[in-house]
Amino acid sequence: MHEASLMKGLMRQVEALAAAEGGRRVRHVAIWLGALSHFSPEHFTAHFVAAAAGTRAQGARLEITLSDDPSHPAAQDVVLESIEIEA
Amino acid sequence: MTTKTIKVNYLARVEGEGGLRVVVRNGVVTKAELSIFEPPRFFEAFLRGRAFSEAPDITARICGICPVAYQMSAVHAMEDALGVRVTGALRALRRLLYCGEWIESHALHIYLLHAPDFLGYAGAVDMAREHRALVETGLGLKQAGNAILTLLGGREVHPINVRVGGFYRMPSRRELAPLAERLERAREAALATVRWAAGLDFPERRHDYHFVALRHAAEYPFNEGRIVSSRGLDLSPAEFEDSFEEDHVERSTALHAHLKADGSSYLVGPLARYSLNFDRLSPLAQAAAREAGLGATCANPFQSIVVRAVEVLYACDEALRIIAAYEEPDHPSIPLTPRAGIGHAATEAPRGLLYHRYRLTEDGAIAEARIVPPTSQNQASIEADLKNFVGGWLDLPEEELRHRCEQTVRNYDPCISCSTHFLRLELDRG
Repeated sequence: MHEASLMKGLMRQVEALAAAEGGRRVRHVAIWLGALSHFSPEHFTAHFVAAAAGTRAQGARLEITLSDDPSHPAAQDVVLESIEIEA
Repeated sequence: MTTKTIKVNYLARVEGEGGLRVVVRNGVVTKAELSIFEPPRFFEAFLRGRAFSEAPDITARICGICPVAYQMSAVHAMEDALGVRVTGALRALRRLLYCGEWIESHALHIYLLHAPDFLGYAGAVDMAREHRALVETGLGLKQAGNAILTLLGGREVHPINVRVGGFYRMPSRRELAPLAERLERAREAALATVRWAAGLDFPERRHDYHFVALRHAAEYPFNEGRIVSSRGLDLSPAEFEDSFEEDHVERSTALHAHLKADGSSYLVGPLARYSLNFDRLSPLAQAAAREAGLGATCANPFQSIVVRAVEVLYACDEALRIIAAYEEPDHPSIPLTPRAGIGHAATEAPRGLLYHRYRLTEDGAIAEARIVPPTSQNQASIEADLKNFVGGWLDLPEEELRHRCEQTVRNYDPCISCSTHFLRLELDRG
C-alpha cells in the first residue's frame, strides 16, 4: 500500500539528479529490488510508468535486477542504482 | 546528443502518505491544505455485481485496524435493504464485537501513535526504551480487544465470522468466561489509562466544532441510533445524503465531506460521540471522565487522547455487561430472502460515523454501493484546525513546526495516522 509514496520519493530523486546534471530527458533507469521489497519487476514497472508520466523520465527504459537473497542487508529496500540522461 | 550515466545507489524511501501546504501572508495563515497521496482504491466500484452476502467480507478489507466497523455498517445496510432486523443475543454479540474493535483500535492510537507525541518521542519503539511499562499496558489492552475479535470474528484482523443476518458460529457461555477474566484486567488498565492520559500536558486549544454522531435511546452508540449534531440535526441514517455530501478536491485522493446546506465542515469521532452522548456512558466511565477533568463535552482536539481512554473503559465495561447477560441464541443467524431495494446504515467506527448505502437487484446482487468513511468527513475540520493553530507556531524551527502539525493531524486519528509521521510540510511565506 506504500508503492505510490515510495515511487513519488524515487521520482523526485530521479528528477533532482537529472536537473542537477542539466539533463532534458532520462533515457535509462537501473533499479535493484530487494528480495523482501514486496515488489515484482512487473508491479514495479506499472508504478514507475504511472509516476514517470509527464516527467523527464517518461518513456525511460527500465532495467530491473531482482535479488533473491533475503539475508542481503538491503533485502527490504528498493535501490536506484543509476540513471542515464540525455543532455 | 550526449548521454551521461549517473551512478547513485540511492535507497528509495516511503515519502509520506500525506502532505500539508500552509500559506502565510503578512504573518497570518491564509490557507492550510491537507493532501493524501494514497492511491484511490475503488471499493465501491468493485462491490458492484457481487452478492449482498459478500459485502461484509469485501468491505472488511478496507481497513486492518477497523474491519468490524466496515462489516457492521455493511450488514446493517443490507438488513435494511432486505427488511429484516437482528435482535436479542445476536444484536448483543455485534455490540460485543464492536467493543473489541474500539479497545484494540483506541489502544493502538493512544499508546503507539499519540503518546509518543505527548512524551516527545519519534515513535513507540523509541518511547519503549524509557517507558517500557506504558507500551506494555498499551499492547496488553490491544490484545484484550483482539481477543474479542478472535473469539467472535474467527481471527483478530479482518474477521470472517460476520454475516448478513448474524454470525456463522456463535460462542458458548463457556468460551466467553476466560474472555471476561481478561476484560476485567483490561478494565483496570483502561481506568489507569484515563488517569494517566489526564495528567498529560495539553495545549489550550479549542475549536467551535459542529459535532455529528449517532445517538441511541438508551445506549452509547455502536450500531444503531439517529444521526444527531450539536447544532440541531436529527436524521435517520437513510437521510444522511440529504444533509451531507462529499467533494473531490484536486490535490488529494481522499474525498472531503461537507454539510450540503452551507458547505461547512463538521466533526465525527470520539470528541463528537462523547460530547453528544456523555449521559449514555456507564457510571464508571462517566466518573472516570469527571475525575480526569473532562466536562460533559470536550472541544479540545489534543484531549481526544483522554476521550479515547474513556471510550476504552466504556467498551470494557459494556463488553463485560454483555458477556454476563449472554444467553446462547437458538440459531447463529436469521433467514434472509433476497429482494430488490435500497438499504442505509451508519455505525460508529472508532474514528467516527461510517455510512454505507447499497442498492440491490431482485436476486440480491449489489447494483450500487456508497461508503462514506470518517476520515473523509473530518478532512475539512483537520484543515480548519491547522489553519487556526499554525499561526501561533510560525516562529518555531521547521522541524518543531512539522511535529506540531503532525500532532494536530494525529489528534483526529485519521486513516493516515501512522503515516503522518512522514508528513511533507510545504510552508509558503509569500
